[in-house]
Amino acid sequence: MVLLTATAAFGAGKLTLMQNKPEIDAQLKAYAAAWGQKNGVTVVIKSIGGTSGGMGPQLKADYAAGDMPDIFAFDGLESFKEWEGIILDLSKEPWVSKTSVAFKYNGKVYGFPVAVEGWGMAYNADLLAKAGIDPKTLNSYDAYKKAFEKLDSMKDKLGINAVVSMAASIEMGWVTAHHNFNSLLSNGLPYGDLSVTNDLLAGKVEAHAQRLQEYADWVELLFKYADKTILLTGNYDAQVGAFATGKTVFLHQGNWVDPNLKSANATFKMGFAPHGSMKKVTDGIFVSAPSYYAINKESRNLTLAKKFLNDLVTTPEGHTYMVKEAGMIPAFSGITLNPEGQLSKSVQEWSAAGKVYSWNQYYFSGDFRDKVLTPIYNQFAAGKISKAQFVELMTKAFKDNAQK
Amino acid sequence: MNAGGLIVWCARQGASTCGLSKGGSMTKKTESTLVFWIFLAPVLFAFIMVMVIPFLLGSYYAFTNWTSSARADNELRFVGLQNFINSLRDPAFLYSFGITFVYTILNMIAINVVAFVLALLVTGNLRFKNVYRVGFFVPNLIGGIILGYIWQFIFNNAIPSLGTLIPSLNFLADPNNLMLSKNTTALAAMIIVGTWQYAGYIMMIYVAAIENIPQELIEAAKIDGATPWIRLKAITIPLCAQAFTVTMFLTLVNSFKQFDVNVSLTSGGPSTMLMGQPILGTELLALNIYNTAFISNKLSEAQARAFVFFLVLAIISIIQVYVNKRREIEL
Repeated sequence: MVLLTATAAFGAGKLTLMQNKPEIDAQLKAYAAAWGQKNGVTVVIKSIGGTSGGMGPQLKADYAAGDMPDIFAFDGLESFKEWEGIILDLSKEPWVSKTSVAFKYNGKVYGFPVAVEGWGMAYNADLLAKAGIDPKTLNSYDAYKKAFEKLDSMKDKLGINAVVSMAASIEMGWVTAHHNFNSLLSNGLPYGDLSVTNDLLAGKVEAHAQRLQEYADWVELLFKYADKTILLTGNYDAQVGAFATGKTVFLHQGNWVDPNLKSANATFKMGFAPHGSMKKVTDGIFVSAPSYYAINKESRNLTLAKKFLNDLVTTPEGHTYMVKEAGMIPAFSGITLNPEGQLSKSVQEWSAAGKVYSWNQYYFSGDFRDKVLTPIYNQFAAGKISKAQFVELMTKAFKDNAQK
Repeated sequence: MNAGGLIVWCARQGASTCGLSKGGSMTKKTESTLVFWIFLAPVLFAFIMVMVIPFLLGSYYAFTNWTSSARADNELRFVGLQNFINSLRDPAFLYSFGITFVYTILNMIAINVVAFVLALLVTGNLRFKNVYRVGFFVPNLIGGIILGYIWQFIFNNAIPSLGTLIPSLNFLADPNNLMLSKNTTALAAMIIVGTWQYAGYIMMIYVAAIENIPQELIEAAKIDGATPWIRLKAITIPLCAQAFTVTMFLTLVNSFKQFDVNVSLTSGGPSTMLMGQPILGTELLALNIYNTAFISNKLSEAQARAFVFFLVLAIISIIQVYVNKRREIEL
């Protein structure tokens, strides 16, 4: 890191990109080196963090030091606001017309979608078949409840430890207070519908009391049938590992686990089923661009930075890098390649069918998600508070948040 | 005299007596002042650059709305004591203060007791005592982040599987008994890891102190019929008082500033309730400051907390050194 910073001094002939997906660091560096050679520029890639906000401290340090990267990643509205003053308007870029998930604010495009990602309940199709459960029926609270009960009674026969691999420790707050939390905000609503999100941001919880109640049932169900060790203390590896080794039927994660499952030699058939956070049928999974590249307005290499992003979309090398090398689902039309991971394919199928719900969790601040909501989920998972208290604390949290 | 000693001696004597002087133009006094500052300059430069300036800047930012980001409304404004008031109103910050005191006291006791006992063992008539000394010291060479992950694995996987292997220990396999799943036992886990990491280092200081105790005192006591316990109480411990001043200071400051093991072992979890609000249960002060800065995006408020942190730690350590110094014996 120190070495990178030292060589990344401002000046023509150097383009710096800071991004938040360490898992594609090697592939991006290889692509950037080849691209740089062709364009007569050294591209410096800095990859930091795994969860949202992991990159924040370095970005702030670089900004304070006057060493801001030319291109940097951000994950949504809250982090956009953090850097609003220096993010370049990209509305006129040629790639804008080829995507529907670019980051827009006040009618202008500010973010280049890095990829498309999605999560639902990842299921082990082989185990479900053994238990005689059709994954297509899993799309409401009642369907899940029945399925979980059945699977739980067949633990020995299926050779599983628990039904769900779910993580709710503080370290894994991004699973509960970011991803799972989004079910409350967008499940069952048209794509891009912010009605519930805006009401909750304004502290109007009463308007959605029923929704919150049903959501609490869903969280309780997930926690009840989760592997307790993983739920309370497990990290990412433990959570994904349990699913990869067939010790659980479901995994509460997104398609980014594909490379992990591959390296764990998980060969069973799998796919995504919707979340059952409501009584009514919600037939879709949560799909969006997980992060966006922004161009630093104050960069000395604006033309090169724009070309770098554009070439990802318009050149075959860019396509190969995004899809084949990095294994991502491209956010742009006109790319014929397909990712190989089973869960990534499942996300593509759901998207192609138009059965998708948005990601609205990033409309809430990192402070609210990580410091307010995460401990509430953790208390509920540990059985220290009841479902009624969970609802009460969530309600209070929204109201307090609206006061700030 | 070795090279280092010579340099110090030269500095004390002034350069001329060491043959470094080129002529008689300078008086002895200005020469020695000059040499004094030349020798001091490198460390002074580093100290000013990485300690004094950041400290002053940070203290200044604590009274502003500084964010180090490019928000739409980001011009720097003075906000007076607002950051301090907000901090003291935050239950999580108050809790962190409390839990840091508890952790520091328990950790100081655990480390020093273990270190002192180990030091007594490896200065006794033990075979392979040098091997033990190295063995106890080695954990100190592992970085705190890695150590935290290793011990996370031990607490979450190794200990429960021990429970499944040995029937009489099967309570260990119960998820409800996982050390990291409750905030009280998670704090104990942090103390275990802290002791494991640091006791070997402190042991070395005690070893040096114990080996410096004049043998004739011990022999005289033996001849007078003092039991090992009396010898420990009346000779070894009082004569180690100088070492205690150092070790107490080191363990106090290090425990109070604990960060890396905290992050990697517990991330501040699991949660607990305070004043009707769920908060992180093992979030020590340093981690609370970090999270305030980078998760909550309140850099100036974090600066205010760091300022309070510095004041409290400075006062406590001055008191500690003062108290310990009074117990020291001049031979």
